[in-house]
Amino acid sequence: MSERPTPEELAEAIEEFLAGEILPTLDDPRLRFRTLVALNALGIVKRELGRLPPEDDAEQRELAARIRSGDVPAGTLDRVKADVEARLRIASPEYVERHRDDE
Amino acid sequence: MLGPVSEPVLLPGGASKEAWAVDADGEPLLVRRAGGGVIHRHTLSLRHEFEVLRAAHEAGVKVPRPVAYIEDLDGREAFVMERLEGETIGRRIVRMAVPERLPVQMAEELAKIHALPPERLPFLEEATVDRLVDELDEIGELHPAIELGLWWLREHRPLPREPVVVHGDFRIGNLVVDENGLVGVLDWEFAHLDDPARDLSFGLVRAWRFGVDRLRLGGIGDVEPYLDRYNELTGFEVRPEELDYWELAGNVAWAIGCLTQARRHLTGQDRSVELAILGRLGAEVEFEICHLLEGQGVT
Repeated sequence: MSERPTPEELAEAIEEFLAGEILPTLDDPRLRFRTLVALNALGIVKRELGRLPPEDDAEQRELAARIRSGDVPAGTLDRVKADVEARLRIASPEYVERHRDDE
Repeated sequence: MLGPVSEPVLLPGGASKEAWAVDADGEPLLVRRAGGGVIHRHTLSLRHEFEVLRAAHEAGVKVPRPVAYIEDLDGREAFVMERLEGETIGRRIVRMAVPERLPVQMAEELAKIHALPPERLPFLEEATVDRLVDELDEIGELHPAIELGLWWLREHRPLPREPVVVHGDFRIGNLVVDENGLVGVLDWEFAHLDDPARDLSFGLVRAWRFGVDRLRLGGIGDVEPYLDRYNELTGFEVRPEELDYWELAGNVAWAIGCLTQARRHLTGQDRSVELAILGRLGAEVEFEICHLLEGQGVT
């Protein structure tokens, strides 16, 4: 599943925020230094993530196209939901639990 | 002529528009000014939004009193309106002690909005569910859950209703609320012509309950008194099944909306972590789409 933003793109967004919006507001030399170090560390994470091969989305592509054409056999939702839940466990794990408590 | 004018203060928030608080002659005003980007290509221009606000105000809808449209305010268009007192942050509204009649008050405002004469606002366009497919295709990402939602919406269309003038984003986060209830309806940039039941249902979307999920109407109340009062005033006889249909459509629209917002970051139009992360948090909305489809017996 090729999700956007990719992990690399997320790291880049944080990097821009720290360097562009936070760093210029810091007067304390210690905090400035530590923020620069944090940016260096984030840069390592970003470049490491950038080396990962792109994920194969052929299966998702085929599934999306089938649903679009109206070919929705029983069990399709179960499959789709399992995939969404797996993504949510990364993006927002507490949401799955909260939603479940509510049912 | 205006009397003494205070120094304008830029208010936080506002993804695509600036909001400036300013007092003129002691009167609290709000200046809404165009920002860098637009959220959505179907967003009204500020000139048209001001026209809608005027029509709503004339019809007695609770809205900030429109004061003036300004074609060029330091290079961008803007308009001036009354600055209403009250809470506008959805997350806080659902945690306030709001009066029990708030759902009924919301229904009353919506009934007035849906009675606005369309010929008074000839620039308003009609929207359809099919437009959502085009929006998803424009994003160009693979989201089978959204496809499944769109599929179900195509297969189960309710009988179409005569389109009316709709607010287009009628939910708790776009209201001003105080201890007496509804003070005003804000953010008219998505006004268009549509099935009234769709507008009536947008506020049911789980994301707009701000964590108070058991209260289906925007985290503040039950749907029944809201629907009953609306039907009583309009005679439209909207059925609960229509609310279910359009609640699902609202979730599909917001799932796509999250991706559209993330695009603004990814394309470089408007770089921001806040927008970027919406691309991932859209999965919450997709989960809700799956949940609602299960409720409809889909497997």
